[in-house]
Amino acid sequence: MLRLGILSLVAAMLACAEGFTFVIGSPVASQQFQFKAATFVFRTDGCGDVGTQQVSATAEGVLKGERQSVALKVIPGSKPGIYAVFQTWPTEGQWIVNLKGTCGNASAGAIVPMGPKGFIRESAKFFPHPATESEIENALKPLMTGGKK
Amino acid sequence: MFRRHIPHQLAGLLDGELPLAEKKRVEDHLAVCGLCREEREQVRMGMSMLKHLPPAQAPDAIWNAIESAWPEQQQRSVAWFRQWFGQWLPAYAVLAVAAVAGIAYWTMVHRHERLWEVVEIHGSPGGGQEPIRKVAGVGPGDWIETDASSSARITVGQIGSVDVGPNARLRVVTTSPLEHRLTLERGEIHAKISAPPRLFFVETASATAEDLGCEYSLKTDVQGLGLLQVTLGWVSFQWKGIESLVPAGASCRTRPHEGPGVPYFDDAPEELRNALENLATEKFAGSSLDTILRVARVRDTLTLWHLLSRAGVPDRARIYDRMAALTPVPADVSRDKVLELDAKTLTRWKEALAWTW
Repeated sequence: MLRLGILSLVAAMLACAEGFTFVIGSPVASQQFQFKAATFVFRTDGCGDVGTQQVSATAEGVLKGERQSVALKVIPGSKPGIYAVFQTWPTEGQWIVNLKGTCGNASAGAIVPMGPKGFIRESAKFFPHPATESEIENALKPLMTGGKK
Repeated sequence: MFRRHIPHQLAGLLDGELPLAEKKRVEDHLAVCGLCREEREQVRMGMSMLKHLPPAQAPDAIWNAIESAWPEQQQRSVAWFRQWFGQWLPAYAVLAVAAVAGIAYWTMVHRHERLWEVVEIHGSPGGGQEPIRKVAGVGPGDWIETDASSSARITVGQIGSVDVGPNARLRVVTTSPLEHRLTLERGEIHAKISAPPRLFFVETASATAEDLGCEYSLKTDVQGLGLLQVTLGWVSFQWKGIESLVPAGASCRTRPHEGPGVPYFDDAPEELRNALENLATEKFAGSSLDTILRVARVRDTLTLWHLLSRAGVPDRARIYDRMAALTPVPADVSRDKVLELDAKTLTRWKEALAWTW
């Protein structure tokens, strides 16, 4: 009976965070005028209880040949589960924004590459886990190659 | 040419202290500027009030009470002060009160009218007139005009600024804290607004741009042929019940007697933009819609979403199907409701689609 209860609880938790992931968009998607100058906005999908989720972001980049990491402040919007990222990392160099999130036992990650005209939606990558260091390095490589052109 | 207001010269004019040339210039301006004439009357009234204030003697009881409350040394100072200024002190007090009341009244009357200012001017007005170098307040009814070699920047109260390009002519309509409105007769402006939505409006002959928290450029000719280009946030472009919602990175044309057209992203395929231009004249009778549906990308659902409410039912169904093929339709957005143009359903879908725009 106890096993059945535990299994049910685990199943409920998994269902609650089924397909927990990030969705990114341009600032207009937030429908919030305070975010109009944001670099991009993002929301979470698949978290049953948005109140329990936690998100964070860092900018990872290479500036003058040196690898750098900048902690970012993620600004929550007026609607639950919507956040904005403003650029606080240097304008020079090559950068990606690394998003991390948890909802119960589920976790999600995203790598959002930055270009000269803002975030590069088509090159963004989404993971069912926080991005690993090698995944970040792999995302930075094409930007660095592009930067040398 | 710009209208150059003369608020700082009014007191000098009424006191007869202006040099002859300056006096003529100020009087010429007053002859054509209702705002400054009204201001002159306010200044004249304030000066008149001050001239007619009678001197009055303060009751001795006031001085006795003050002296008894102060130490002896300070009392000597008070006696000296009273000896020299005492007899005029009541008059000064009355003057001070009158001045404060006058300033409060003037501020109240002019608060809404003084919210806008021309703060930067480049080049000089045409017609051989004197170049304008000073800032000037502008209020309802004032026209601002630039020639081929001049431009200006206007601050819009506390909420933003408007850059006026060459050969532009615009009129200030409202400068209330709850509504800032101007009419762009011709030329191009660039507006940067940092206030909450729906406070700043620009009217042209064929559409009104309503700020939804944004930055944009708007150009038009006198007939109303114009173009809106949004760089940040959203703009609602409206005319007689037609509304186009234009987000950052998108543009929207407006035409005389037709109002705002269908917005499109500036990076949309050229084929789509050309077809959209043709659609405006074809009114869905030609093959332009086929082209638009064929070349539309996910992001061009902005254009397709606007076409839904402008097309007839058969075309609307084709547009819906193409949109559904480009991007998943949210569970709470039904095909039937979309084809009925249910406002709530369309808004819900637009909000979901905006994550791809």
